[in-house]
Amino acid sequence: MKICTVLKQVPDAEASIRTSGSGVDLAGVTFVMDGMDEYGVEEAIRLREAGHTAEIFTLALGPRRFEEAIRTSLAIGCDRAIHIETDEALDVITQARVLADAVKKEGADLVFVGGKEADWDSSALGPALAEALGWTHLDWTTKFVLTGTTIEATHDTDAGNETVKLSLPAVITTQQGLNEPRYPTLPNIMKAKRKELRKATLADYAAHAPLTKIASEAIQVKARLNKILSGEGPETAKQLITLLRDEAKVI
Amino acid sequence: MNFDLSPEQKEMQRMARQFAAERIIPNAAKWDREESYPAEFVKEAADLGLLNITIPEEYGGLGLGLVEEVLIGEELGYACMGFDTIILASDLAIVPIKIAGNDEQKKRFFPLLHTGLGAFCLSEADNGSDAGALKTRAEFAGDDVVLNGTKMWITNGGVAALYVVFARMETEHKHTGTVAIVVPADVPGISHNKLHGKMGQRCSYTAEMIFENVRVPRANILGEPGDGFKIAMKTLDRTRITVAAGSVGVARRALEESVKYAKTRHAFNQPIANFQAIQFKLADIKMGLDTSRLQTLYAAWLVDNNRSHGQASAIAKCRASDVAFAAAGEAIQIHGGYGYMNDFPVEKLLRDVKLNQIYEGTNEIQRVVIARSLLK
Repeated sequence: MKICTVLKQVPDAEASIRTSGSGVDLAGVTFVMDGMDEYGVEEAIRLREAGHTAEIFTLALGPRRFEEAIRTSLAIGCDRAIHIETDEALDVITQARVLADAVKKEGADLVFVGGKEADWDSSALGPALAEALGWTHLDWTTKFVLTGTTIEATHDTDAGNETVKLSLPAVITTQQGLNEPRYPTLPNIMKAKRKELRKATLADYAAHAPLTKIASEAIQVKARLNKILSGEGPETAKQLITLLRDEAKVI
Repeated sequence: MNFDLSPEQKEMQRMARQFAAERIIPNAAKWDREESYPAEFVKEAADLGLLNITIPEEYGGLGLGLVEEVLIGEELGYACMGFDTIILASDLAIVPIKIAGNDEQKKRFFPLLHTGLGAFCLSEADNGSDAGALKTRAEFAGDDVVLNGTKMWITNGGVAALYVVFARMETEHKHTGTVAIVVPADVPGISHNKLHGKMGQRCSYTAEMIFENVRVPRANILGEPGDGFKIAMKTLDRTRITVAAGSVGVARRALEESVKYAKTRHAFNQPIANFQAIQFKLADIKMGLDTSRLQTLYAAWLVDNNRSHGQASAIAKCRASDVAFAAAGEAIQIHGGYGYMNDFPVEKLLRDVKLNQIYEGTNEIQRVVIARSLLK
């Protein structure tokens, strides 16, 4: 079996993001592997540890800096990696088409990808990838068991969760609760040095003309009313309740 | 000239930083308050490979260098200088075996340090800086050596798997009469008293070590009998670079906590970061931090490239620990009353890093080392 873990590198959750000109300025920002994707990497490693014979490869589409996140995945335990290097900002559907072509060419049976991409807050990549592959798909997975080619998995729904059965090949999107990702150990970091990190370009894969282009970007500014109530405590409390109910409509 | 870290070095740094943020920082205040030794977290660090990384590959280690150790040391020191000391003081036992041990000794002793801690027994109640004045006795009895004496302020004493003990043979010249002996922890006759009441680094286990008729084979002597003092000095020439690394971590923590606080604390209707009195403090810490880090990495690089490093390591250790102590003091000043309370992490930085100016050669001794290298 071949397992593909798709990953992105995104700004660290604590990074402060600025805009400059019409885009986001990422200078000086610390990047990490997308936390949601980490669950996928961990799950793939656990499948192998549970006795499944599997080659696990990392697949990433993005700029050169993605290399660091890719190396992290190799240090955690993926066997090799393919980095489709591009500085182009591709929309999710286009990304999915490129990745789908790569997944097909590598002959993977199972794809893990984060339930949501932390950079653009999109949950579309996994479903779009399944669509492009014509594979079955389960999103927001919190429990995953593979027996032969049958998957029994639990995922979140709006009202709770459901457990479903599906067959390989499949695209599984991962999230918190699925597992507890491990740290890469120092010996494994050193071993990762000898693992293959193959570079590819968009030209190696089909269908990469972007469908959407970003015209401009702005960061949301939260305006405050700066309204200060004056008077005695009981009186201002009444005013506050009125404001919260009638104006802010939060209670 | 190249200031870039390799991809593997960056990965190690990232892992150590994450481990420090998630496992050490949330617990460090509690260990400090309770003066408790975090055994399970030391094991976690060992399982991640963060312990004893400089054991050569041919003896089952990772064969990493001091540059890697400095990168890790900064992250551990940032989180908790006491924890950093537990992990990095173990080097004090690796280095003597590495520089003076023979192949047979390396094969016999390094496996004990794959997951266990090492400890270095040089200081005694009546001697610290005057290391040659030690009183612990080594007497030869056939193929064995018998040790008798008491060592003081031994980091990891009582929790180590292996001790490198320095002792005096008969009454010869004080420097040429010392011997370095490897003593595995399970040899009969070793006992210890944990030392309580330390000002800082309270999670690191510090003990008085008592050696009472401790008998080990002569084959445990590192180098020749009489090489002891030289081995101790050569060891400290290297290991004090890790003290510098921890100090850099403390200074970085002092700076980051101060910047965060200065931006959010208001006085006179504005963040205190607007005031030059605060800005200058931040700028001074930053200058000290960056220059210390450069010197520390430089000294480590010298060791890894087999260059002469005694003066550079003394500069790194002395400078970085002085910088970090001053930075911690200024961090408290910036935090004002809050900084003096243990609800904020900065007072612990000061208590912890005071020791960095003292152990592995006081900063006065470092200045002596530097001056002697200028005047010889």
